[in-house]
Amino acid sequence: MKKIALVTGGSKGIGAAIALSLADAGFDIWLNYRSDFAAAQQVQQQIEKLGSSCCLLPFDVADLEQVEGALKPLLEDDTPFVLVNNAGFARDSILAMMSSDDWNDVMSVHLGGFFNVTHTLLPFMMRKRKGRIVNIVSTSGQIGVAGQTNYSAAKAGLIGATRSLAAEVAKRKILVNAVAPGFIATEMIEELPMEQILPMIPLGRVGTVEEVASMVEFLCSDKSSYITGQVFSVNGGACMP
Amino acid sequence: MTEQEIIETINAALVEEFELDAADMKPELSIYQDLGLDSLDTVDMVIVLEGAFKFKIREEAEIKQIRTLGDIHKFVQRKLNAEA
Repeated sequence: MKKIALVTGGSKGIGAAIALSLADAGFDIWLNYRSDFAAAQQVQQQIEKLGSSCCLLPFDVADLEQVEGALKPLLEDDTPFVLVNNAGFARDSILAMMSSDDWNDVMSVHLGGFFNVTHTLLPFMMRKRKGRIVNIVSTSGQIGVAGQTNYSAAKAGLIGATRSLAAEVAKRKILVNAVAPGFIATEMIEELPMEQILPMIPLGRVGTVEEVASMVEFLCSDKSSYITGQVFSVNGGACMP
Repeated sequence: MTEQEIIETINAALVEEFELDAADMKPELSIYQDLGLDSLDTVDMVIVLEGAFKFKIREEAEIKQIRTLGDIHKFVQRKLNAEA
């Protein structure tokens, strides 16, 4: 039987690329999305073309009841080897003008979502004595970015959670790492002024979603068996922490 | 299930899960110092007990207070009584 990978926020952007890359590497996929069924279905069809199965799981990662409602019935029969906590979004503004909703929503999706999904899955993964958890963070969690105090705080928090959880579950042979994309060609950066951004990137271009996915695929492969608690930047050199 | 049957079910489940010696299963023993479990093992213990008794206990705050094998016996009995 194929190993299973659960990818949150998998209907588009980096999440969809990760799901496809892991399917191509031989995983069956549990694909979570929140609202865009049509996009999720397209990813599902592409995954099936690659010869893997794809179970669509619509739920809001920020809502523990929805997370448990969707996952617990599946976890009675199968345990994913991989969990990719990717679901996220930005709600940028300068802090002085930020609404408390924009602060709280970003926290509850990135940090609450990480907790809700990982907390539901982890006991089963621990019983299997093996597993990989990859948290998708951001350059914003590593350096200061004006206009992103909420997103930065959430991603830096997720980096902290990555390290502590890695220390906690290493005894169970579960490896926990983070991948920090820089400027990647997704809808998240569509509105940004490229003429200002490109000079900040030593490689002189934004990255592709596949370039992020290949790092995640590596961290879910047998080749990364001695790596845990680390943050891997995929950013064209934009930040060298 | 009688009290004795409950205790035997718990002990048998833990002996199998953690490869313990059945002769060591004395209620006064600490599951940590004497039986050698650690905090991660309590996750397995909860899942094994949930499987044996068909109840859900992971969210119960009382689990964190358990120190001895006897604490587990009493906790499970209380839980089963409450459900009956």
